[in-house]
Amino acid sequence: MAEAVRAARAVRGRAEGSRRSLGAFGRALPPVALLALFFLYPLVLVVRQSFRPDSGGTSVQPYADVFASEAFRQALWTTVWLALASTAGCLVLGFLLALVIAFVPFPGAKAVARFVDVFLSFPSFLITLALLFVYGSVGMANGAWTGLTGAAQGPFQFLNTPWGVLLAEITYFTPFVMRPLLAAFSQLDTAQLEVAGSLGARAPRIVRTVILPEALPALAAGGSLVLVLCLNEFGIVLFTGAKGVTTLPMLVYSKAILESDYPGACVVAVVNVLISVGLYGLYRVVSRRAGA
Amino acid sequence: MLVHSRGARWALWAVFLVLFLPLFALPLLVVLGASFATHWSSVLPSGPTLANYRSATRGEALQALTTSLLTAAGASLLALATGTWAALAGAALGKRAKRVLDALFVLPVAVPSVVVGLSVLVAFSQPPLLLNGTRWIVILAHTVLVTAFAHQSVSAAVTRLDPAYEQAAASLGARPAQVLWRIRLPLLLPSLTAAAGLCFALSMGELSATMMLYPPDWTPLPVLIYAATDRGALFSGSAVAVVLMAATLLVLFAVSRVRTRASYR
Amino acid sequence: MSIRFDSVTVAYDGNVVLDSLDLTVEPGEVMALLGPSGSGKTTALRAVAGFVRPASGRVLLGGRDVTDLPPYRRGIGMVVQQYALFPHMRVDENVAFGLKARGAARSEIRQRVGEALEMTGMAAYARRHPRELSGGQQQRVAIARALAIRPGVLLLDEPLSALDARLRSGMLAELARLHRELPDVSMLYVTHDQVEALTLADRIAVMDKARLRACGTPRELYRAPADAFTASFVGGANLLPVTVGADGVDLAGREVKVDTAGAVAGARATLCVRPHLIGLGAGPNQLTGVVQEIQWRGATHRVHVKVGEHDVMADVRELREPPARGTEVALHFAAADAVLLPEGVGHG
Repeated sequence: MAEAVRAARAVRGRAEGSRRSLGAFGRALPPVALLALFFLYPLVLVVRQSFRPDSGGTSVQPYADVFASEAFRQALWTTVWLALASTAGCLVLGFLLALVIAFVPFPGAKAVARFVDVFLSFPSFLITLALLFVYGSVGMANGAWTGLTGAAQGPFQFLNTPWGVLLAEITYFTPFVMRPLLAAFSQLDTAQLEVAGSLGARAPRIVRTVILPEALPALAAGGSLVLVLCLNEFGIVLFTGAKGVTTLPMLVYSKAILESDYPGACVVAVVNVLISVGLYGLYRVVSRRAGA
Repeated sequence: MLVHSRGARWALWAVFLVLFLPLFALPLLVVLGASFATHWSSVLPSGPTLANYRSATRGEALQALTTSLLTAAGASLLALATGTWAALAGAALGKRAKRVLDALFVLPVAVPSVVVGLSVLVAFSQPPLLLNGTRWIVILAHTVLVTAFAHQSVSAAVTRLDPAYEQAAASLGARPAQVLWRIRLPLLLPSLTAAAGLCFALSMGELSATMMLYPPDWTPLPVLIYAATDRGALFSGSAVAVVLMAATLLVLFAVSRVRTRASYR
Repeated sequence: MSIRFDSVTVAYDGNVVLDSLDLTVEPGEVMALLGPSGSGKTTALRAVAGFVRPASGRVLLGGRDVTDLPPYRRGIGMVVQQYALFPHMRVDENVAFGLKARGAARSEIRQRVGEALEMTGMAAYARRHPRELSGGQQQRVAIARALAIRPGVLLLDEPLSALDARLRSGMLAELARLHRELPDVSMLYVTHDQVEALTLADRIAVMDKARLRACGTPRELYRAPADAFTASFVGGANLLPVTVGADGVDLAGREVKVDTAGAVAGARATLCVRPHLIGLGAGPNQLTGVVQEIQWRGATHRVHVKVGEHDVMADVRELREPPARGTEVALHFAAADAVLLPEGVGHG
């Protein structure tokens, strides 16, 4: 008897629970609907467009065309190696700088940390614009060189090459690595460092055995975020204005806007989305691990 | 303190400055310097002038500034509303459903902005929603791009919100709607303003999707800066860039003032 | 208003955290739920408030089944450990919150907020924000806020554990006074601190591992605990394994005269003696052992003595010349002060 009552109550409890969660689903519906209409549905249209060549019908012809083109393969390669190299650079540089700010603080270290935050709120293309003045053909560095040596041309001519993009991306995205690192470092118990120091460990050893393991999750999370952002970066490449540097986002833009080749643009877009979303999924998994 | 020897510390700081200054401080200073100059062919810019700013604060540039401010304000408010709604609704969902919702709402971060621009262009260049050629398509694309950030930061704040407040309110007889309006939203206010500031800054600097979408009568500042540098007008472009940075910082500063007043603890 | 748990079971993800609790709090009674963390005491309180749903069983308030009622329709006052004062509202707004939520008239709100703040001695702080108050003051505001809605039931979840020791005893006296002033309000008081429970409660329900272990007046539980867990958790006790004999028990080969009523001869059992009821020196029920440790506690000395293989604690009035470690001493206790419990040793 008591068992039966208990069972009946359990069933009722479940029914109530599902009714409550039905209400929660209902409340989540409007924003999801907006997202579906203005973001997911357009993406689906892009995928559909990528299977519809201008000649009509539905086929994988646009894919075959794009994959066969030298420009696409070049852009894919440039995008990937630029993103990988930028990420590596950001990780090394970000780790070093964050290390100094957090553990060898100097007067003004706080202000520097805040400056990093401000830096993040500026658009990326400003960096390229600035580099034009620093390393451009008549910029600061070359101007100084020609002024000193009397030569007709300065030695810094890399801005229009992928190296210019690389420098700009490392500059712009390093703060994205520093921020999670500084957050992770602030959580690190300084007593651990003191204990390690009192046990006779020297600084490089402490960095390797105490700080680096603690920083790994933040490094992984920051690194994969930067990797995705580099894969998607457009402003820096556009401002560089170099014909030799074409990345996937740049190719999407030029195919769609300059050549009006929408199926082709959509194919490149699909490829770019697949790479980025795949990596971003990885980032989410990594950062969730890091948070746990 | 990690490094105890004074010499080693100075050496580290020197390395830090050598890396930090040219990489991070220099670019901003250079743009600032160039905005007041007419030439730059040696170490320092030359030909000091205010003409760049005179042209950067009137006519086309002034209109671009208004455009950018309106776009950013509209997009961040819309994004904040949608993102907050999704974050609050997500908190009431089960674990698995919440994970799906979160994944959906961060997707725009992962998708290249250029592709968001392309997809919006493809989708809204045809009836029933013909937005192409209007300002609304720019605002829409910006909203899509920054909603992810609004959702992420509000969602994190909702998770951190101590359930004790809601429960105390409920035990005192407040219905769920009253709990939302009088307890949860006021307590979230600091995070909401922070999210609004972030969205605003991102929208102010958005270039990728905008390049795909902007109609001639709705040219935001980044596009204008690009157009200027593209035709070689680097110095007046710098002045516009400084105006962009100043406007962004001003709004961020105002927002952080609101936030300080709104944080009660 | 009475509170009744009718075989309430609560489970999270298949883990039973409260196992068919049956308990009734009479109108106007103060019931303490006492137990270690994880014993299910807070879960029981939250089931009354409506924040956890029983998997089975019913919760009744004043005879009415509220199991399916959402928290906001139960009309219960609740005070939690971290106070949960709304940080964006002033003290008076905090106290008025429940009344406003109910749509009370403005004049009534003003009057009742005044009363509640007066009663908790916080009237002078009405226009302050919570962050400007000390921990003790915040706790008073939390109590005023709960009382302002004139609840029939007041739930207190470890209300004093965030306060330091001195404030705690002051607030304890304060709560006792409030209860005298509001004789009709039933209180369910969750705590892990036996002093709070012994001081404040009319009855104590001792909980452990999701189950109710014992329930009775503080005096009953202290004098005649039902089992070893209750004995050690309420007051602390020497729990010595013994074998029941003809007219006494056998403790490590020594005959000890105690009341063995209800125990079967030859069975194993636990002898419970409170440390302060054991004397030093020769006497009835004498045990001898070696001093292991001696701690000075101001008014008393606690002497740890190894008797056979058992460690026996005795709290004796401060000794002028305490025995040195390693010396042999005699201990004694009155047969009436020892309680024979069923076998089983509880927590420390």
